[in-house]
Amino acid sequence: MDEESTSHATSESERIKLNVGGKLFETTLSTIRSGGPDSLLFALSNRPSNDPNPVFIDRDPEIFSVLLSLLRTNHLPSTARRFSKQELADEALFYGIDSHLRSATAPPPFSGIDAAVVSFIRPASEGLPSTISAADNGAVWIAHGGQISSYDHNLIHAGTIRTHLDEIDSICRVWPEIAAVGSKSEAGLHFYNFSGSRHVGSVNWSDPSDPRIFKARVNASTASESSVFASFDCTHKENCILEVDKEKLQIVSQIARQSGNQAKNMVPRKLTWIPATGVLVGSAAAGGAFGYSGYVRLWDRRSGEVVWEANEPGSGRSSRFGDSFADVDVDVEELLLFKLCSKSGDLAMADMRFLKDDPWIYLKEKNPSLVNYSGEGNSYVLHCYKGQVFAARDGGLEVWSRVQEGESCGVLRESDAEGFYRRNFVDKREDSQRGIIKKIEGGGDRLFVTREEVEGIEVWESSHSAGAIPVL
Amino acid sequence: MPPFGGSQSIGFSQFQQKHDSNIVSIDVGGQLFQTTRQTLTSAGPKTFFSRIAESSPLYTPFIDRDPDIFSLLLSLLRTGNLPSKAKNFDLQDLIIESQFYGIEALLINSLSNPSQLEPFNLQKSLLLPLNGRDSPSTFSTTPYGSLHVAHGSKITSFDWSLRRKSTVLTHFTAVDSLLAISPEVAAAGANDFSGLQILDLEKGHVRETLNWENVTKSGSTVQAIGSSPEQMFVSFESCRRNSNSILVYDLQSLLPVAEIGHNEIFGADIDSAIPATKLQWVEGYNLLMASGSHSGPSGVSGNIRLWDVRSGNVVWEVSEKVDCFADVAVCDGLNLIFKVGVNSGEAFYVDLRNLSNGENNDSNNWVCLGDKRKVVNGKKEGIGCKIETQGSQVFCTKGGDVELWSEVLMGKGNRRVEQRILKKNLMGRVRDMGAAKVTNLAFGGSRMFLTRKDQESVEVWQSTCREI
Repeated sequence: MDEESTSHATSESERIKLNVGGKLFETTLSTIRSGGPDSLLFALSNRPSNDPNPVFIDRDPEIFSVLLSLLRTNHLPSTARRFSKQELADEALFYGIDSHLRSATAPPPFSGIDAAVVSFIRPASEGLPSTISAADNGAVWIAHGGQISSYDHNLIHAGTIRTHLDEIDSICRVWPEIAAVGSKSEAGLHFYNFSGSRHVGSVNWSDPSDPRIFKARVNASTASESSVFASFDCTHKENCILEVDKEKLQIVSQIARQSGNQAKNMVPRKLTWIPATGVLVGSAAAGGAFGYSGYVRLWDRRSGEVVWEANEPGSGRSSRFGDSFADVDVDVEELLLFKLCSKSGDLAMADMRFLKDDPWIYLKEKNPSLVNYSGEGNSYVLHCYKGQVFAARDGGLEVWSRVQEGESCGVLRESDAEGFYRRNFVDKREDSQRGIIKKIEGGGDRLFVTREEVEGIEVWESSHSAGAIPVL
Repeated sequence: MPPFGGSQSIGFSQFQQKHDSNIVSIDVGGQLFQTTRQTLTSAGPKTFFSRIAESSPLYTPFIDRDPDIFSLLLSLLRTGNLPSKAKNFDLQDLIIESQFYGIEALLINSLSNPSQLEPFNLQKSLLLPLNGRDSPSTFSTTPYGSLHVAHGSKITSFDWSLRRKSTVLTHFTAVDSLLAISPEVAAAGANDFSGLQILDLEKGHVRETLNWENVTKSGSTVQAIGSSPEQMFVSFESCRRNSNSILVYDLQSLLPVAEIGHNEIFGADIDSAIPATKLQWVEGYNLLMASGSHSGPSGVSGNIRLWDVRSGNVVWEVSEKVDCFADVAVCDGLNLIFKVGVNSGEAFYVDLRNLSNGENNDSNNWVCLGDKRKVVNGKKEGIGCKIETQGSQVFCTKGGDVELWSEVLMGKGNRRVEQRILKKNLMGRVRDMGAAKVTNLAFGGSRMFLTRKDQESVEVWQSTCREI
């Protein structure tokens, strides 16, 4: 049934016969060994080549035929649709070729200009997500109520833990099984382990010399290779960032202590770690009656010093006075800083390698269909993922993506750089009516979006399938 | 079970007459299947499969059945789970086929195992309609998810797959307490009809009537039924309401074993006049929890007792006068007794391991999960609230909503004696909120069942991945 098509010249000794649950399969040793040296199939192939009898495996032959095609072609055959993702994953795990299956079932590289909602993940209870965290393999954690639900790379529910917090406002991946959670209503950064579903540690900001520092709450957190950074603030707004060791779950250092008495030194609401330069980016933006105000600040992790900062509304140096940003995000790979202007709705970019007094380059609108689109909204979210910048204004989701050009550009010159990015809508008009976007997270070639007062989260993926709709 | 056989032996080829002693071939409806002896014997002794496994390897048995369903059941034997293509088949066909092969127990185990209950993942997924116009008064489940529902004078029983049902008529005008003894047998009683009837729900007749009589030889009504793996407990009250008792029966023979807590009422001793209206067996402690309450002009009062059935002694007892319970349940997994206050509507707990026994055990023992000030509430916010436990989870109904209380396990560094952290989770989606009041709540298999006021159906909550 499964003929080896490569060549008839393949010698007898390089072929192997398998009897899976009563069905005979014949393949080459190279195919069966492509699963890797740790797989069960590799182990089975190490037998005397003069043995004419097939190896017997007591498993379902139909799933095996799917997995054998996967090994042969690196693609899942269409017959795989008869099996659930869970079943294929279990069976692939049995044969030890789960990484093969994972790479074959992973969605294609995420492209904001060609993405659609593929599914909604809805936790069974208390379904309004407060925050989410996506992993590089496409798995996601959803914090809802005081619970955290974990979904694996197939987006299958892997487990739910209940934390002692009533509302989780920040969540960060410390280890694949350990989450650091913080709440704006309860003090401390808390670590929960999914295996065993229990609390494994807590970190609190305290200062023996300052009795006012107590019950500090976590506003944002991010993780580096070895540490977790969390921004804490007290009820009287004094704030700082604590660096916590990932192994010991203990405080290593305190950086960026600020008094919090003004908008330009309030607690960072967003933290991003830049591994390439060892710099921590913190930002905060608050909307008030007189518009937005806030700051972006870069701290050197070793010295704890501020390397660069931008406060808005600034002192007038900015060419766009009065158009302060509503959100900031960092493209960690490209070392670019992006801000979304609250009044004009423009997106501005700054190269982190050449930061100066006013490094912002305002990207030009080139898409004619968007010229008449008023960028005004009440809620703004900016998120960089895979070299693309996703911006949400109320319910609408747009993407700024770079046009691929032949020549390489070393230094961004303002005159050229303005036109590098094109703006497009990711969503359809009906998508934008589902509710105001609260959070965007990218991970594993998926984009996860949460909306205000909407249960569950949206999963956006790119796809190579045309999805033609038959019309009768 | 070893998944592959015969690397050390000579192997198998269907064209050769050499046979691996470990590999078994079966011809089902013209299709050849091969498996190992271990896989077949995992079906259990004295089944169809174990006989094949013991038969001669030289002979290929032929089974004149559908090969497609057989392949599903073989996967079930191999992995313990049905493959997803089983969804293309009607579960009823699978059940009939598994009964033919004698492995229905394996099928039940994979689809309706109580250990697979995922409290955080339960969602409303099925409605089981009840014919006629009576809304369910009570219902009872078996551990593997069969369900008996009493509505009006009828009892409708659903099998574990929730695919088949049958209805029988009882002598009662309304059944008030029901216990599922097995998928076919139930014990039923009523507040206004004398005697406990053991009903054969398959044949629809009364197998036996159990009665308790006090000295005056008046009849007695059933107030509550409970069971342990070996025994059945029935709370009787005499028809003249002047005495009450809890009787212990052997579950197999249905013969009375013991009588505990016999009260005869003389004068105005109101406390002894309250019969137990809930009986729950506490497996981990070998105790029977019995609770009953009474609503009078001075408010609701009641008592909770923990009985040692063997000695017939009360191990612990509490009388409730302030914010008496609306419902009580013991949670074995957490070692806690839970109640919902009838006035406050809040949940409370007390630790089973350090129950203070004595005269001064008033309501101070209870740790309130919620607003403590509501204890002296004039309103009765908790009336009709139900509380049930399953494993280490506590389910509490409030109006139309179900709350799930779970303990947060705090790790190292939290050794000091302090209040345990129990957190409330509201079950269901936003659209499920504010539905009609929940009247009964129970668990069976990996599912939760509930009934609502004035609704002639049973709601089934299950996890998406375990839906049947």
